[in-house]
Amino acid sequence: MAEPVATRKPASSIIEIEHVSQIFQTSARKDHQALSDISLTIEEGAFVSILGPSGCGKSTLLYIVGGFVSPTGGAAKMKGKTIAGPGPDRGPVFQEFALFPWKTVLGNVTYGPRQQGMSASEADAQSRALIEMVGLKGYESFYPKELSGGMKQRVALARTLAYHPEVLLMDEPFGALDAHTRTRLQNDLLNIWERDRKTVLFVTHSVDEAVFLSDKVVMMSKSPGRIRQVIDIDLPRPRRRNELLLDPRYQKYVVDIERMFDESDEVGSRS
Amino acid sequence: MMPPTTLARRAAPVLACIGLLALWQVAALALKNDSFPTAIEAIRAIPSILGDKEALINIIASLRRMAIGFGVAVFVSIPLGLMMGRSRAVAAFFNPLLMVIYPVPKAALMPIIMLWLGVGDITKTLVIFLGVSLPVIYHSFEGAKAVEEKMLWSGAAMGLSAAQRMVWIVLPASLPEILTGCRTGLVLALITMITSEMIARQSGAGNILFNALDMGQYDTVFAMIIIVGAMGIGLDALFERVRAKLVRWSEPQFDIPLSFS
Repeated sequence: MAEPVATRKPASSIIEIEHVSQIFQTSARKDHQALSDISLTIEEGAFVSILGPSGCGKSTLLYIVGGFVSPTGGAAKMKGKTIAGPGPDRGPVFQEFALFPWKTVLGNVTYGPRQQGMSASEADAQSRALIEMVGLKGYESFYPKELSGGMKQRVALARTLAYHPEVLLMDEPFGALDAHTRTRLQNDLLNIWERDRKTVLFVTHSVDEAVFLSDKVVMMSKSPGRIRQVIDIDLPRPRRRNELLLDPRYQKYVVDIERMFDESDEVGSRS
Repeated sequence: MMPPTTLARRAAPVLACIGLLALWQVAALALKNDSFPTAIEAIRAIPSILGDKEALINIIASLRRMAIGFGVAVFVSIPLGLMMGRSRAVAAFFNPLLMVIYPVPKAALMPIIMLWLGVGDITKTLVIFLGVSLPVIYHSFEGAKAVEEKMLWSGAAMGLSAAQRMVWIVLPASLPEILTGCRTGLVLALITMITSEMIARQSGAGNILFNALDMGQYDTVFAMIIIVGAMGIGLDALFERVRAKLVRWSEPQFDIPLSFS
């Protein structure tokens, strides 16, 4: 049907996670090991999903790469340098959108580039193009409260893309959306991603979503959070949902991954 | 042509005021008490107060102290409240201090402050400052505490430093809550303004009121109460207009979000 793996570039690593562990203190003053000895290398330009049940520490791992949380053990590195805090080279997109409610759509999207010192007119022009790309042309002067959840997440994506991070960190970005909206956003995200192939680290608990979007799926198990297995998804790109759902290779990935989760006694903890 | 509901909404407060005055009038006529003039008598006394240069100077002096006390309080309390909301250590330090001051009626501190600072402007302004500070600190604190962590992370990823996040994210995000505190503070400023002048009788709107009371000029007393009340309504309405402009983005005026994925 299509040439497998044809689109893969010779890879160089951009993010290295080395023996990262994370211990939280619970309210009962007991230590809870959220992550245990995680090592993972992410290649430049790859779309990598971290898949696992809730409570497996997958979001924590993303926050560590973002520099929002410091690991209690090990280190995460970006291009060989240990990550010590947040920076514009790693752009987050959160499930909660986290837009600035006092800014319009345009104001939100221009915020990052303006902060990075881009001139007002340049930031404006670039942001308008991005807003059009995410399908929100005409909504530039709207405030976040006037938008639906799907629209807010489109704005959040545009806002992050606006300051040109090298890595996109997406934390269950479509988790708060209804099924129909989620599907549309998945399709649009793939279309946008296929233009410039930015490195994406994508946290999700949906097997379909992970397989549909990713080059690589990192399966995690919980208590403590560990990497179970890393699976390469060899499906042709550009991916079209209507073709993919009928593709036995896609179906096999989904079924295999679901079976692996089921085997490990975690039935029902995934939603 | 205004729709009937808008008309009703606009007319309601006017009707309420007229109703109150009518009730007053009837009660005063029924009681026939010298110290309880009728509403009409009280209203008749208003022009003579506002026409009196001395009285006007007094009222303006009151308003000036109130503006200074309110302004300084807001200027100091907002940053303090925001820092308390974002730092446990700062909150732990200031919280007990504020809890001690909170239940004390600010006017009760006046005699002591008067001993230190005299009966002049500084004492009265300080009391107004104390009265306004606490609600503004409290609401700024609550507002800052409620700021979404992920919003701050988003700012940090864009390169905003901790101080910049405080000014450019925590402050605007807390603004609706801060302004709620300021609105309470404004009313308290008016109250403490009058009480401070009641205790340190030297000048001001409160002084006119209590001098008239001493001299048994009850129509002037009630006229002053009407004037102070009107000042309260006017200041609150003015503040509300400014507030609505500043936080237009947070008001639920568009109840139905646009449906579009």
